[in-house]
Amino acid sequence: MGGRKTDLVLLDKNGIRCDGRKVDETRKVTIKAGVLKNASGSAYIEFGGNKILAGVFGPRDVHPKHMADPDTGILRVRYHMEPFSVGERKNPAPSRREIEISKVVKEALEPAVMLENFPRTATDVFLEILQADGGTRCAALSAASVALADAGIPMRDLVCGCAAGKAADTLILDVNNEEDQAGQADMPIGYMPNLGKITLLQLDGVLTPDEFKKCIELGVVGCKQVYEIQKKALHEKYFSNGGSS
Amino acid sequence: MSQNSNHFVLPGDVISNGSSSLKQNVILEGDKLVSTTIGFTENNDGAVDVIALTGLYTSEVDDLVIGKIVSHNSLSWEVNINSSYRAMLPASDIFGKDYSPSRDDLSLKLIIGDIILARIVNSDSRRPLITINGQNLGKIDDGELIKISPAKVPRLIGKHGSMIQSIEESTGASITIGQNGWVVVSCEKTNGLLKAIMAIRMVEEQAHVVDLTDKVKKMLQSNGVE
Amino acid sequence: MTSTSIIDKLKRNKILDLLKEGKRIDGRELDEFRPLHIDTGVIPHADGSARVRLGDTEIVAGIKIQPDRPFPDMGDKGIFICTAEILPLAHPDVETGPPPPPVIELARVVDRGIRESGMIDLSQMVLEKDKSVIGLFADNVVTDHDGNLFDACSYASVAAIITSKIPKWEIKDDKPVLVEGELSDAPITTIPVSITMGRIDDFIIVDPNLDEWECLDARITITTNSDGNVVALQKGGSSGFTVDQLVKCSELSISGAGKIRDIIKQATKTNQ
Repeated sequence: MGGRKTDLVLLDKNGIRCDGRKVDETRKVTIKAGVLKNASGSAYIEFGGNKILAGVFGPRDVHPKHMADPDTGILRVRYHMEPFSVGERKNPAPSRREIEISKVVKEALEPAVMLENFPRTATDVFLEILQADGGTRCAALSAASVALADAGIPMRDLVCGCAAGKAADTLILDVNNEEDQAGQADMPIGYMPNLGKITLLQLDGVLTPDEFKKCIELGVVGCKQVYEIQKKALHEKYFSNGGSS
Repeated sequence: MSQNSNHFVLPGDVISNGSSSLKQNVILEGDKLVSTTIGFTENNDGAVDVIALTGLYTSEVDDLVIGKIVSHNSLSWEVNINSSYRAMLPASDIFGKDYSPSRDDLSLKLIIGDIILARIVNSDSRRPLITINGQNLGKIDDGELIKISPAKVPRLIGKHGSMIQSIEESTGASITIGQNGWVVVSCEKTNGLLKAIMAIRMVEEQAHVVDLTDKVKKMLQSNGVE
Repeated sequence: MTSTSIIDKLKRNKILDLLKEGKRIDGRELDEFRPLHIDTGVIPHADGSARVRLGDTEIVAGIKIQPDRPFPDMGDKGIFICTAEILPLAHPDVETGPPPPPVIELARVVDRGIRESGMIDLSQMVLEKDKSVIGLFADNVVTDHDGNLFDACSYASVAAIITSKIPKWEIKDDKPVLVEGELSDAPITTIPVSITMGRIDDFIIVDPNLDEWECLDARITITTNSDGNVVALQKGGSSGFTVDQLVKCSELSISGAGKIRDIIKQATKTNQ
């Protein structure tokens, strides 16, 4: 992006990051469940500057029919960025990056969703990035999980996402956009909190074996914090008294 | 509710250790019973059910459902019943056992877009089978189709039908509720119709609120519809 | 939306019965709009943005402003382009893939309404005549579809444009270079308001919701500017209007536009 400061201080001498956070602090996360009228399930997440909408339909008939699996329902995920979501206006047509992220998020959700009882159906998850600010795939994954639960898709666990990484030779939790561009490593993680399984893992950058271990542990801590927000969102919609759902 | 305390659960939440017999929306993960959906637990003779608070309709034999004809071939109609699968209504259900595709034209009886009240005969996941042979079953000619979440149907009916009766009496509307969350409302007076629809929407949005029946009564009376 | 959406026979009959009594299925009058809510600045990183809720229809519009080459023969004018996309999460029948003809029509109708009104003074968006101009993109995404996307997208784009901030560029070595920290208001001359009406039998209804939309015999979108002049028209649907019906539509659109314009002004806090 044009005009960015090249002398951005990623970590000052007090251990404070460029956006005022400590090294093990995530950005502010809020989630609201059930925000759309037509989708079977939906969720809206704000994760730092990320603003992402998730909508779910299904299980429903598969079109085209040849894509149906006679033994189980299939999961389909579409991660899509709006033209106004990034610094330089993005062409609405799907990019290779969006196609890859769609696949990776789908594979992060599949271990959790139980579609074996819905053969020949598809469950569609649509993730729309309204504003991107580093870590969209983890935020989108977290919203997708809430939307799936909201739709009543049977799941053995929720899936939460958070990235950890390295900047200024220090391991950091929840890499923001500047840290992603100027830092040393970015590791997005997707995690099933009750089963303790990692279902999304990628890495950009260089980590020693010891850093790798610590980075994953740090990321899992972040994922668990996101899990609390996911639960809160679903509690607010379904279990709170007196409000409208 | 029952004497055991009921808990709200989310997917992945552990209900208990050990394995009492598995019921709906519960799976065994290792040695733990885990909920697979958003709902509340209900103890039934030592077995734990999770009553889902969301999700599409899953067909159960004998359920009354409201459906919409979406297509047909020469042998049957395909019906949308708000489930993951479309239901099948065989032509022999209307034309009888000696039905003949070359002689009997399905589109004379039911066409695409028609709304029917039917009963689930078979809920095999390949294709739920329905019938309109029976008292009050068949094509619905008059009324407004309202869609609510199937999980809210018990609330709309109320204890011993108290909620639905209250709405019908207040508005003069006649309301047919499908277990699949589809509801048909008919009323001679436009005012009564609109009030009944408002009441149904209110039940759906506030299903979890205590004293909902009283709240709905108040709303119906407040605008002078009797 | 596919053309094979099943028309609910029960619903069309009920809609007509109610229309004969002067009412609609959601209790509205024939010339009544659904509740309209507009929030601006919802995408802070974009140059302008707005979120519109018209009944249960929801649109998010984002504005991106960046230097561009002018169109040939229009070297003294900036560029304005409007797009629209119905997101697949907006309705179960939406298919992914390139926009189908109704969505292309939607984008072009919204674009025309804004362009023909002269809302944006494009002559003030030139950096170097014939070489470098400012391009303003208004991208609409439909996040929830309950009918009348024409009006909802128009209001979202208009509100987003009014509240957008244009960065400053200087030409250095023949290239536009961003000058940090200098933003100006968009050059707005008028506020276009589109009003969409549908015909079912002999009844004209304003702001059809999706159920009504699927039963319409014909529809028309009329855009007027702040002076009350008609700047754009689009008729759709597979049936026709009589001249009297069209005159009635134009009257409805002018009276309706006043109220909508007030809501837009309130949401964007301008005195235009």
